[in-house]
Amino acid sequence: MRTIKVNGKDRQVRASDDTPLLYVLRNELGVMTPKFGCGMAQCGACSVLLGDEEVRSCITPIAALDGKEVTTVDGLPARWAKQTGRATTGALHPVQEAWIEEQVPQCGICQFGMMIKVTELLEKNHAPSDADIKEALTNSGPSPHLCRCGSYAAILDGAHRAAKLMAAQAKGGAA
Amino acid sequence: MSDQLNIHGASLSRRGFLAAGGALVVAVALNPDLAGAATPSNTLDSTRPASWIEIHADNTVLIRTGKCDFGQSSIYTAYRQIVAEELYLPVEAITTVISGDTDRTPDGGGTFGLLRGNVLNLRKAAAYTREAVLELAARKFGVPRTEVSIANGVISGGGKSASYAQLVAGQDLQLVIPISGGLTSFGGLQVAGSPPLKPVSAYTVVGQPVKNPSLRPKMAGETIWVGDVKLAGMLHARVIHPATLGSTLIAAGQPDKTQFPGARLVVIGNLVAVVSADEWEAIQAAQQVAADTKWTAWKGLPGHEKLAEHLQNKVDWNEVPTTKGSFNKGDVAQATKPHKLHSATYFIPFFKHAPISPTVSLADVRPDGSVMIHTHTQNAQYLRAGVAKMLSKPESLVVIRTYAGSGHYGRSNGGNAGSECESVLLSRELGQPVRVQWMRGDDMQWSTQSSAMTSTISIGLNEAGKIQSYKADHKGPPMQDDRLIGALLAGLPVIDAPSLKPSVPIYALATMVGDRWSYGQVANVAETGHCTFQIGQRESQINVGLRDHSMRTPIQFQQNFPREVAISEAAALAGADPIQFRLDHVDDPRFTAILTRLRHESEWETRPSPAPNASASGTKALRGQGVSIMLRDNGYWACAVHVAVTPDTGEVRVERLTIVTDPGIVVNPLQLKRQVQAGSLMGVSQALHEEVAFDEGAVTSADWSSYPILNMAEMPTIKVVIAGDANAGIYGQGSESANALAAPAILAAFFDATGKPARRIPLRPDYVKAMLAA
Repeated sequence: MRTIKVNGKDRQVRASDDTPLLYVLRNELGVMTPKFGCGMAQCGACSVLLGDEEVRSCITPIAALDGKEVTTVDGLPARWAKQTGRATTGALHPVQEAWIEEQVPQCGICQFGMMIKVTELLEKNHAPSDADIKEALTNSGPSPHLCRCGSYAAILDGAHRAAKLMAAQAKGGAA
Repeated sequence: MSDQLNIHGASLSRRGFLAAGGALVVAVALNPDLAGAATPSNTLDSTRPASWIEIHADNTVLIRTGKCDFGQSSIYTAYRQIVAEELYLPVEAITTVISGDTDRTPDGGGTFGLLRGNVLNLRKAAAYTREAVLELAARKFGVPRTEVSIANGVISGGGKSASYAQLVAGQDLQLVIPISGGLTSFGGLQVAGSPPLKPVSAYTVVGQPVKNPSLRPKMAGETIWVGDVKLAGMLHARVIHPATLGSTLIAAGQPDKTQFPGARLVVIGNLVAVVSADEWEAIQAAQQVAADTKWTAWKGLPGHEKLAEHLQNKVDWNEVPTTKGSFNKGDVAQATKPHKLHSATYFIPFFKHAPISPTVSLADVRPDGSVMIHTHTQNAQYLRAGVAKMLSKPESLVVIRTYAGSGHYGRSNGGNAGSECESVLLSRELGQPVRVQWMRGDDMQWSTQSSAMTSTISIGLNEAGKIQSYKADHKGPPMQDDRLIGALLAGLPVIDAPSLKPSVPIYALATMVGDRWSYGQVANVAETGHCTFQIGQRESQINVGLRDHSMRTPIQFQQNFPREVAISEAAALAGADPIQFRLDHVDDPRFTAILTRLRHESEWETRPSPAPNASASGTKALRGQGVSIMLRDNGYWACAVHVAVTPDTGEVRVERLTIVTDPGIVVNPLQLKRQVQAGSLMGVSQALHEEVAFDEGAVTSADWSSYPILNMAEMPTIKVVIAGDANAGIYGQGSESANALAAPAILAAFFDATGKPARRIPLRPDYVKAMLAA
């Protein structure tokens, strides 16, 4: 047995040390937003935040978590509430909200990883340029975050909208 | 109401009174004998599909469609808008959409042409429903039907008024509407008859930027995707597919029991799989077993590097009858000898559908022989028929439940969806529910491909520089292999492969001429389609080879590409600007309108190609512009791209893409814009990167390195201009068209920048350098 911290909670897991985090999240803990895409860190569908860094859960063994907390899209609302000192009211994270407002997804399977990567970016860079967003989603990880549907233009709109929502809410604006 | 009311050929009856609630449900009349018997609460009986529409006493409406969503949202947005429009209700009143499930939805047929013809089922069902409710109102109000009117969901007449809810309250009403077709047949059911449709001039809901209600639960993590489904007692399976597309099994490896104590091998013919209750164990054990499994050697493919040459010179095109284009006219052979002639051969490689998440499905074959399948498919009822055929069981035993899944833009694996047949066979063998998840390599190497095509185009110009003749010969394998791959591997019954005399006509070998002719001023047009067998299929020991199936804008992508590149080259031969050259040859004012608009919106530089500073060498990036047009499903499209080509590195960057579309009635401008942006980028991806690699036996594209697609840093600035002509009176397709425009416009822009023609895609640096050196 091993204890890992996922979305604010300590969770006991039975899986062997070499098991990639993706399968532990999905099969043992019922955390389903990281999706299987390639199993080789080539696409980003399985991305999660490990501490403040985006990692590919499909190639990250649970033994390599190093005690850091894992955040998936399921845990983004609580993460944002904690960061801004707000009550967890059931509101979504601004990145999720922006994805809905801008109608970003086509099929949406890649967007869980896209939202994780953009959250990582926006936590460090509050007003990214187009180039910053493209760089983050293309060159900052082990591979580009891929979208077969071609939703990249919508993702750009979503990331800018999310930055604005985060700035407004961080200043104490309406939830 | 003791009698049955005739509503424009449909039949309305009251089955009883209810103490609470009340509903009007729409059922189907399969034939006169069954008319009264069809029930809305479907069972496992394929002859009794559930209803399209239910109006409830709380004034909400539920709709059902056999179509599924692939991310374009049409069934959640456009379909709700169109139904709301016919019912004179706000779109919010349509609260529930049930889609795809074979036991809970009525249409059958595939998810394609959603606005072309398939929406007519719901639209007509809604019109029948509205007319039935108006008839009910007339009776309730005690006035003639002609004195009853409807506005904003309120039915009025004789000084009285009522909502839908008030008119159905306390009653159990059934409206039986006429249909034709077959639920599990290729085309599914069609609602028959001609109920009065709301005039387009009175539309208020169609045309609004309605948001997709399925996105909030998806982004909140609440939606159950197919890969998220868990069944009690299920096993995880990984399939070990043969070493080549023609190999048979010699001996399967055994899982190492000390390393993988819970893993178990299953072999059914050439279908080899490893199962375990633990997914990670199944994955690792499958890798170990795969390494130890022996297959026969097989060679029967030309290799992708020789594919164009193979299609042009090695295939016997006389085996299959040719197909003439339906827009052929005049006499190309007898036309006056042209003043100038452009003649060239073009090539489109095989593409993969390449969903981001490979196919995954679950099956539960129960002791009573019933089969429940959980999947994401574009053609659920048809898959049901295929699974029943594989098992030699009645269709009534098979139920398909559908879920959100990864977009795959065409029927991909097994011609239908993918892993379902394998999960069914494994579940039957093991007596437990089985989840089959294909790995990345399974999808790349064992799903169907979009067909390759080679086209020879000849364009004759007269002395005035106008086209006097257009001749095109398109040659390629078919793109309709619906055989389930698991059934093929296990040696079980399948639907016919594409062949000369199949039992179902859609599998007859034929290369249709599928690109709607757009240049009405050209007097002589001769297009011919030539077909052959799927490459390697007849030679394969397992009857597999390169199986092909439709992918986004099927066949028109393959044929519009050479046409539009050739038209741009002919414009250069005529010394004409490529947009003006097109304007000088179209005769449809809708094309004239979008081309004129495109010239302005794209900041087009009016001049002939190549550009004055065009060059085939150097380290400096050279700019070029190119254009393409297409007519598909009542939608008119024009696209301009601006590229930068660096000759010495072979790098092509698409810097800007401008697309103008007139799809007739625009149902939802917000969703259409997103569909067009995304579709355009898929087209850029195909043009720059995509080609299925294969050697003499197997597909060697196995992952995102060996089958790269566009990344975000490569995206151009995209401008989408929606210029719908509502007077067209018809809905044009949205998402499926945009992807076909990019490739021919990019190649024209490449020619503009370099002065060298590009006649194939993808424009990968190695190909580009060879083209520039030629």
